[in-house]
Amino acid sequence: MTETAGAVLEGVVREEWGRLTSLLLAQYRRLDLVEDALGDAVEAAARRWPSSGPPDKPAAWLLTTARRRVLDRVRAESMAHRKAALLVTDASQRQEGLGAMADPGDLVEDDLLRLVLMCTHPALAPEAASALALRLVLGVSTHDIARLFLVTEPTVAARITRAKKKIVTAGIPFAVPAADVLPQRLETVAQTAYLAFTAGYAPGSGSDLLRADLAGEAIRLVRVVVALCPGEPAPVALLALMLLQHSRRDARVGDDGRLILLADQDRRRWRRDGIDEALARLTDPVLMRPVSPLAASYIVQARIAAEHATAASPEETRWDRIVGQYDLLLRLVPSPSIRLARAVAVAEASGPESGLVALDGIEIPGSHRVAAVRAELLFRYGDIAAAKAAYDDAIAVCRNDTERAHLLERQKALPRVSPP
Amino acid sequence: MILVAYEPGHWESASEAVKQEYFAAHHAFEEYVDAHGRRISSAPLAGADTATTIRHVDGAATVTDGPFVESVEQVGGYYDIELPDLDSAIAAGCLLPSSYAVELRPAVTIEGYESM
Repeated sequence: MTETAGAVLEGVVREEWGRLTSLLLAQYRRLDLVEDALGDAVEAAARRWPSSGPPDKPAAWLLTTARRRVLDRVRAESMAHRKAALLVTDASQRQEGLGAMADPGDLVEDDLLRLVLMCTHPALAPEAASALALRLVLGVSTHDIARLFLVTEPTVAARITRAKKKIVTAGIPFAVPAADVLPQRLETVAQTAYLAFTAGYAPGSGSDLLRADLAGEAIRLVRVVVALCPGEPAPVALLALMLLQHSRRDARVGDDGRLILLADQDRRRWRRDGIDEALARLTDPVLMRPVSPLAASYIVQARIAAEHATAASPEETRWDRIVGQYDLLLRLVPSPSIRLARAVAVAEASGPESGLVALDGIEIPGSHRVAAVRAELLFRYGDIAAAKAAYDDAIAVCRNDTERAHLLERQKALPRVSPP
Repeated sequence: MILVAYEPGHWESASEAVKQEYFAAHHAFEEYVDAHGRRISSAPLAGADTATTIRHVDGAATVTDGPFVESVEQVGGYYDIELPDLDSAIAAGCLLPSSYAVELRPAVTIEGYESM
């Protein structure tokens, strides 16, 4: 019984947190109270459900309990003659539209979209927006958000508090913007989710080397947006990209806790379900019409990931097609990181000498990656002395322990330079 | 409150046609604000080279020449307006001349303070 109650609660929190938050915000417009009230309701459920058994409608139970908490606080404030700032909503417009909308389900979905757009408003700092969206839309704990972004829990709490204060004070509305602004806003949502996703794959240390489980929460955020706005290309393309990158999560870290490079990964450990879904998403008709540069960049990156995902072995990878996709990507996003990735692809497609030519002139200040790639290509080309020197350059600027250990190992494995 | 920043010298060197574009942009802004909220006050400000800054240092008021922040962009004017939310303020701010940087700041009431 206890286990069932716990599982029911965990499930309802995971699936319904955002909807419950958005309903409470729409009703009471109190950004300062809603999160705590819902948290209290979950705590009450954790205490009561094991003995009483989970209610028939667990989400409704949580909503009713959270409503009571909000009302208790509001009543206490009115006795003390305190007046709290309310969230700005498009409630008046909604009231007019109420009669027209037959299905009350639409209203709920609209509230969830309002919540997502409010949390990811471009007037909020991107890290704060990411943290707020994970917390309010998905119910991810501040502890887990802190782990994801490799910062302390008080830092996350402070970011969320500051973001909430700005929303209420600056009047960031709990509203769906005009149709001409909506696509742009959904692109900001996509960028916010991708920021959280890539944070999960930024190397940390120890057991937190990769926080792929938390990166998965960013995928959930994009799923929410795709479900709400299936006709928008950027979220659909981003979902495909994330699913492909995420499909390799089990193969990316070895038993000894070290990063495993793509070519050395056990491809049987790639998640087929994620790859299959991504490949299907990439054929979605919304991606076939002209799209924004951001959506196009997601599509091209997803196609590159798809080339890897569909190659049965590293040797069978179609590097010629990958170079072609990188050429497209460079036209959309001319960044040194993409030029570096293209140089690697060129080396695989046409040999280390071509790769070294493609590498020429690429500079990424503070990063060891250009030097590390140069070292590897020089080794393959047969210039061992130059490869050793390039590893020295890479090791000197590498700031991540795990990656530095990997570079030292590669350098040590170089064959001895035969005396002249 | 909308604070407008500009690069000094821009206006003085502008042609008559360019000045007309600026006026048109301000009119579009004002029309938007009138349609969605209200205008309270506004003023263009003289150049920051005419600014004077007062600071209290060691208990004494010291007066210095210049604005309080030295930067390439300088506050060139303000609009005190009322709009329903940040999105409409952003929509209004986007109508102002594209050479401006536009800062949007909410005004607040200070509890316990009553103006004389």
